[in-house]
Amino acid sequence: MKWGLPTIGLMACLATGCVTSTVDEMVFNEPEEGIGDASVVILGRRHASDYDTEPDFVNCVGNYVAARDNSIRLIGELEFINELYPWFEPRTAPMRPAAIERLLQQEPVARKLQELKLEYMIWVDGNTIRTDSAGSMTCGIGPGGGGCFGFGTWGNDSDYEATIWDFTDRAEVGRVNTTATGQSYMPAVVVPIPIIAPVQGTACDGIGAQLLEFLSAEY
Amino acid sequence: MSHSTTFDRRLAPVLPRLWVALLVAAGLSACGPARVTVEGEFPPPLIEPLPVTLGVWYDEEFAGHKFFDEAGTEGESDWIVATGEAQVKMWDTLLEGMFENLVHLEKAPGTGKANPVVDGVLIPHVDELQYAIPSHTSVKVYEIWMRYRFELVTADGDPIGEWTMTSYGKTPTAFLRSDKAAVNLAAVMALRDAGANFATTFTTVPAVQDWLRTTGAERGEQP
Repeated sequence: MKWGLPTIGLMACLATGCVTSTVDEMVFNEPEEGIGDASVVILGRRHASDYDTEPDFVNCVGNYVAARDNSIRLIGELEFINELYPWFEPRTAPMRPAAIERLLQQEPVARKLQELKLEYMIWVDGNTIRTDSAGSMTCGIGPGGGGCFGFGTWGNDSDYEATIWDFTDRAEVGRVNTTATGQSYMPAVVVPIPIIAPVQGTACDGIGAQLLEFLSAEY
Repeated sequence: MSHSTTFDRRLAPVLPRLWVALLVAAGLSACGPARVTVEGEFPPPLIEPLPVTLGVWYDEEFAGHKFFDEAGTEGESDWIVATGEAQVKMWDTLLEGMFENLVHLEKAPGTGKANPVVDGVLIPHVDELQYAIPSHTSVKVYEIWMRYRFELVTADGDPIGEWTMTSYGKTPTAFLRSDKAAVNLAAVMALRDAGANFATTFTTVPAVQDWLRTTGAERGEQP
């Protein structure tokens, strides 16, 4: 029993690769009663020159929230930026809540946002990168069959920040930051066995859980 | 049954040559340039249309626009990316949403043929296009950069204004996404960016402001 937890931890690491994750949260004016019939949109920042926030990650965070509280009306990212084209493209997207005021001077935009009953706009900025890799693997094929031999390992780092804008007050009401690091392994004796560390998935769960706590009346 | 045996016997001496021919064909096709015809969906702009009748003329070079490595000829290029069809699709969608009336001209303005009554004619050109893929730059991003030149002329072809505008599209590398799919996505992003840039800056071009004043369609500053 004494060795139970470390053994389970080691087994979990061996099965999926180990991930270390940190979540920081700072929110104001949390809606105590939830957001009612208003809607929320989660958008990725794509203005940096060397990276894009992955659409899959934004989708993952949205799915996390929607799956746990189906009363929260989430608008899909692509649907939103298409309906409000060209105001949320990387070149034109508002960078500060104060810019919303100028955007609402465009009558069709103001009408559309009112129609969508948008209450919160959440911007996710960050990405997942491969940090290092080592090892080698040789694969061969012959008349009798094929196979691989060797060992490979690589690390992944995720760093994301979600910024919550209150659309009614035109103000930033919170920030959630998550970092996750993990090492994946691929030993191969005839057949390669990937042991993948779910780094991005852990970061998604970290941000998703905090956003759910902010938006939902049930959590 | 006997027919099948005869066929096999005839084919037998040719088979090695067939294999060689197939291998050569496969090799040649692998050496040829990667061809991409840009395809994408472009949303209409959420913008108050300007109360003018705009004519638009896409010349042959624009409507059939494609790009390849500047260093060589089309045949020597690693990539041939045809953007013409997507350009026309994007600009048609954008301009139809930006102006109360959009007229597609059948002839270039000022070529003698009577054009419909329009307040002005827009003629877009792609002056320059550059691209970068991860194998060129070792950065895990596919990029496309374009410089457009716009001519705004009267129905008779007299110049009203001329200006340039850039657009940029990029997409990161992704698991199981081919180079071709990534170049297509970067091109679609560049076209969307071109539309966004045009829609939000059109009324700030001095020549356009003067022209809008003459047509009585001037409107406030864009956000």
